[in-house]
Amino acid sequence: MDGVDVLVIGAGLVGCAAACRLAQAGARVEILEAARPNAGASGANAGSLHFQLERRFLENGEALADQAASILGLNLLAIEEWRGLADELGPDIRVHMRGGLMVAETADEVAILERKVAREVQGGLASRMIDGDAARALAPGLSETVVAASHLEAEGHADPKALTLAFAAAAAARGVRLRQRCRVVAARPVRSGYRLTVETPDGPEDLTAPKILIAAGAWSARIGELFNLHLPLYPVALLMSATERTAPLLDPLIQHVGQRLSMKQAQAGNVLIGGGWPSRMRLDAAGRFDLDRPAEMLASSLRGNLAVAARVFPRVAELNLIRSWTGITAITADQLPLVGAIPQAPGVYVAAGGSAFTLGPTFARLLARRILDEPEERLEIFSPARFGHLNSFMGAADA
Amino acid sequence: MRSDGDVRRGAPLTLLVDGQAVAAFEGETIATAMLARDLLAFRLDRGGRPRGLFCNMGVCGECLVTVAHGSASPRRLRACLTPAADGMIVTTRPDERR
Repeated sequence: MDGVDVLVIGAGLVGCAAACRLAQAGARVEILEAARPNAGASGANAGSLHFQLERRFLENGEALADQAASILGLNLLAIEEWRGLADELGPDIRVHMRGGLMVAETADEVAILERKVAREVQGGLASRMIDGDAARALAPGLSETVVAASHLEAEGHADPKALTLAFAAAAAARGVRLRQRCRVVAARPVRSGYRLTVETPDGPEDLTAPKILIAAGAWSARIGELFNLHLPLYPVALLMSATERTAPLLDPLIQHVGQRLSMKQAQAGNVLIGGGWPSRMRLDAAGRFDLDRPAEMLASSLRGNLAVAARVFPRVAELNLIRSWTGITAITADQLPLVGAIPQAPGVYVAAGGSAFTLGPTFARLLARRILDEPEERLEIFSPARFGHLNSFMGAADA
Repeated sequence: MRSDGDVRRGAPLTLLVDGQAVAAFEGETIATAMLARDLLAFRLDRGGRPRGLFCNMGVCGECLVTVAHGSASPRRLRACLTPAADGMIVTTRPDERR
């Protein structure tokens, strides 16, 4: 034994936040990070705090939208979590919760928005429909083509570059060791839990702990393979862009119900534009998706994303674009995140599958309780047990 | 100051820099016109302190100024790469309309 209760694989937002919560509860925790903290989607996303149902849940039929509505309970918890984080972690994480608008430009979109708000209100979310003029009063400069919007006061944004590092610092202050450039390459069940083989800058090393948390974002499915597990996570590469800094221009978070768009002005003054436009993943020598290299930007996505942004909020077109980048996250087979214990591998937990900037701190808090065997039912809808059938021939080898 | 040597210049033009008329010639950049008039502050940093042109070749971004010309919306452009034009309105202060 190394005297560690939990080995966390991945120093992204969820890994660092979970390590922090586990250590707060008295657990001895070590984080193993293949590259550097915040290197993946945790640091590459555009920092939206979106608590309304996501567009991706609405564009694939009513059944998925109904199922996705079950995420609302977590969104409500996440709102409270974020309200507390600025006090807990300090001003550097730049939490800005001054409202969010999901806009509609056509009658069809208004209808989708109305159904969405009805679902949300039923789930306890304080979203509401407003007309175009009311939306423009909240976001002066919003296009005249916006005929309605759903508004939620709690929405906004925070700084993805700072949040993970703030959690890592809070974890370190509680004794958590974070080891960078340590890639987990093998995992074996042993009597006392799991023994991981880790490639470190100083050579291979074995580490053992009774419990393992896989929080490796897009890499999580590959980590799952080391445990002889299928984790139904699919990497997806997205596009984000930032304009030059400018004086205060846009207060709320802007999303679009019928188009891929998220837009907000960061506290530093840059306008960040994203919304789920695809990039193209590169392939490695074996012909598999290469998760270690940045995805290739698609000109059609960049043009499309900026065109929607400029149509919805024309003044953004007066700003210079200073940077566009790609980032790789992962989605699951049913679009809901994958968070909880893996039944076929007792002691192994996972937290991955998207939405994890907005929901990451909440996943971390609840999952830490679950890992420490405290009663915790609120993660049930995200439980890996729902994909248990995929692992009916997989799982633990002999200890 | 401009060379007094044997230089063939373009047509004279006038641009406005922070409300001040600045004479220049076609073919000169905004930066050239400003430097020739000893206007050295191209923008303000986040602390409100002036920043000057540095690389004069479009790389460093230190000479970003706000330029309005004709009916187009004002844009932030690199003064070192942007040809001066008659009637151009150049602002080195943050654009307060935003």
